[in-house]
Amino acid sequence: MKQIWSVIRREYVERVKTRAFILSTLGMPLLMIGIMAIVGFVAVLSEQSERQIVLVDQSGQLGERVRQALEQAGYEVDLAAAGVDMEDLDQQVLDEELEAYIVLDDTTASEAVFAYRGKEPPGSVRSQLMRAAVVEEIVDLRLGEMEDGDSVRRLFEGGALEYEPVGLDEEEAEEAEAERITGMITGIAGGLILYIMMLAYGAQTLQSVLEEKQSRVVELVISSLRPWQLMLGKIVGVGAVGLTQVAIWIACVALLAGLALPSLIAAASDFEELALFRQYLPGPGAVLLLVVFFLLGYFLYSSLFAAVGAMCRNLQEAGQTQAPLIILIIVPFMLQMMTFQGNTMPWMNWVALFPFFSPIMMYPRAVMGDVPAWMVAASIVLMALTVWGAAWVAGRIYKVGILSQGNRPSPRELLRWIREA
Amino acid sequence: MTQNGTVVRLSGVRKTFGAHTAVDDFDLEIEPGTIYGLLGPNGSGKTTTIRMMMGILLPDGGAVELFGGPPDFDRRSRVGYLPEERGVYEKMKVLDQLVFFGEIRGVARSLARSRAEKWLERLGLSEWSSKKVQALSKGMQQKVQFISTVLHDPELLILDEPFSGLDPINQDVLEEIVLEESARGKTILFSTHLMEQAERLCERVCLISRARKVLDDDLKELKRRERSGAVAVEFDGEAPPVAKWPGVSEVEEAGDALHLTLRDEVRPEEILAEVVAAGVSLRRFELLEPRLHEIFVRHAGEPAEDDAPLQTGGAS
Repeated sequence: MKQIWSVIRREYVERVKTRAFILSTLGMPLLMIGIMAIVGFVAVLSEQSERQIVLVDQSGQLGERVRQALEQAGYEVDLAAAGVDMEDLDQQVLDEELEAYIVLDDTTASEAVFAYRGKEPPGSVRSQLMRAAVVEEIVDLRLGEMEDGDSVRRLFEGGALEYEPVGLDEEEAEEAEAERITGMITGIAGGLILYIMMLAYGAQTLQSVLEEKQSRVVELVISSLRPWQLMLGKIVGVGAVGLTQVAIWIACVALLAGLALPSLIAAASDFEELALFRQYLPGPGAVLLLVVFFLLGYFLYSSLFAAVGAMCRNLQEAGQTQAPLIILIIVPFMLQMMTFQGNTMPWMNWVALFPFFSPIMMYPRAVMGDVPAWMVAASIVLMALTVWGAAWVAGRIYKVGILSQGNRPSPRELLRWIREA
Repeated sequence: MTQNGTVVRLSGVRKTFGAHTAVDDFDLEIEPGTIYGLLGPNGSGKTTTIRMMMGILLPDGGAVELFGGPPDFDRRSRVGYLPEERGVYEKMKVLDQLVFFGEIRGVARSLARSRAEKWLERLGLSEWSSKKVQALSKGMQQKVQFISTVLHDPELLILDEPFSGLDPINQDVLEEIVLEESARGKTILFSTHLMEQAERLCERVCLISRARKVLDDDLKELKRRERSGAVAVEFDGEAPPVAKWPGVSEVEEAGDALHLTLRDEVRPEEILAEVVAAGVSLRRFELLEPRLHEIFVRHAGEPAEDDAPLQTGGAS
């Protein structure tokens, strides 16, 4: 047992120390935040550089209102005198004295369509801001003229579906809704984490096994350790690295939720929805279930990945040999993408019982409350049995494979390995 | 140390790889406390034999025993094995790697560390202890690996080509350590294709050629028996016409001395009698000991037509 511990520690420490681990752990959230920040920043920056605009009003009634609206949106608006020569303005644009100008005419007054004349099309931020300002003003204006303007305005707001729960009071209904959203977020995030972990860390187990086999270190290690001990130590060590990574990511999210969010809410009070974010964080039950599914799914796949590593002589061979395993991981992920929007295909619940698909498909269903509890329990039992079987087979392949320097075994030879190991 | 009975016993061991027979009908017994040399040219089956002893390969026929039983896990852990291919964790630091190997062989972490440090010191690698193994030269890596072999203080050392790749100074250091470990009661088996090393270190040797055992004997006994019947003579003044003596088949000049090869069944005493009868003054008369190298070439080196083994008896 002590020796397994040494293997786990070696595997863990040597991996956590690598630049690849540090980069991928810190890099991923930083990269995402960074990309979002840069995209936003660049858009805002480019919009801030040129904020002067000339407004030509041919309708004779919109000019002042639109000017105010645009100024509120942060532009410096120069309302041209009535009867200004547009050819002049065009010339100014061509001479780059003016970036662009806006023309409001009778169509604007009736249909909220207006022209933006410039050498370059407006950027996305600019066109959003301007359109919003102009259209809102005109809608306001038109609605104000109408008798039943207020009800039309509500129509514009899109109406509403008001869910009236039968047999629940309002409070209970709200809770149920919050729970459903929580389940959805947790299910999607959990499924994604399981997918990444099984794929990435399963592959790392394979690599670790292959490295030892290729360098023949395994021949030394195996004189002190039983093959299954080495394999177990490796799987646990690599898995612990994966858990560390996820824990760091979760900590980042928690930190964001705990620290950054309140200040964000304070700064932008109209984002009330953000405040709800915290109530959607998963409860301990969902987290515990995630750990159970992670452990089962990870052990299932990484033991098989270890067996693939032991069978092959180099990474190229391993790349081909691991394909069936990769497919077994990707297929449920694709099925899950198809169905998480709504559980319109109940037979998928049965597909989710297939142990190789369960981590990615059953976990989201369990936290979303789409499947009865007995199905979740059955899936866990099935997976546990499969893990046991897979570990048995993988252990035998591993035992023979790591010391064999010959060709990759044919299926028939593989069966012989399993039988005779 | 419980070293009673044969440490390693192979009987009728055979191993084939496809159509190629790597080891055939191989017998070997190693008694406790011996320094045993497994000699043979490249590709003769030394490494395959050793890998079978370590349970890395399973023999296709015959039986392998370590410490009186099959080479199972518990018995293997009493062996310090240095494989021919240098298997190291390239990206691990030297000391970490040694501690890890010590630990998985059941040495407590702190003890493994202090032992490793002592060995690194002894082999002149102290300043490299926190460097990654891949930064070391091949020779240094080999020394690191040797340390990992002895760190758990095993009863039996099995060293596959331990001297190859080392410079003469380090070869001497390693020889010294091998002799020391032997003096502490360890049994040592090493394979080599360097006959001089074997000649200096071994008490017993086994020669393998083309997958078969050719010789297996006590080194002194072997040399006595393998004496070619050559003598070296040196005279003061004019030499007698040795080439014409009936017992001499060949004469070779070697500096001041003459090396006489004797005809079969002629004993050295008869030549001495001839010398005395010739009335010349004799400065030296010596029976020539065959070099291990010559013995080896005699038995295995010639391009023999087939693989007829020259079973020269031995203890087996």
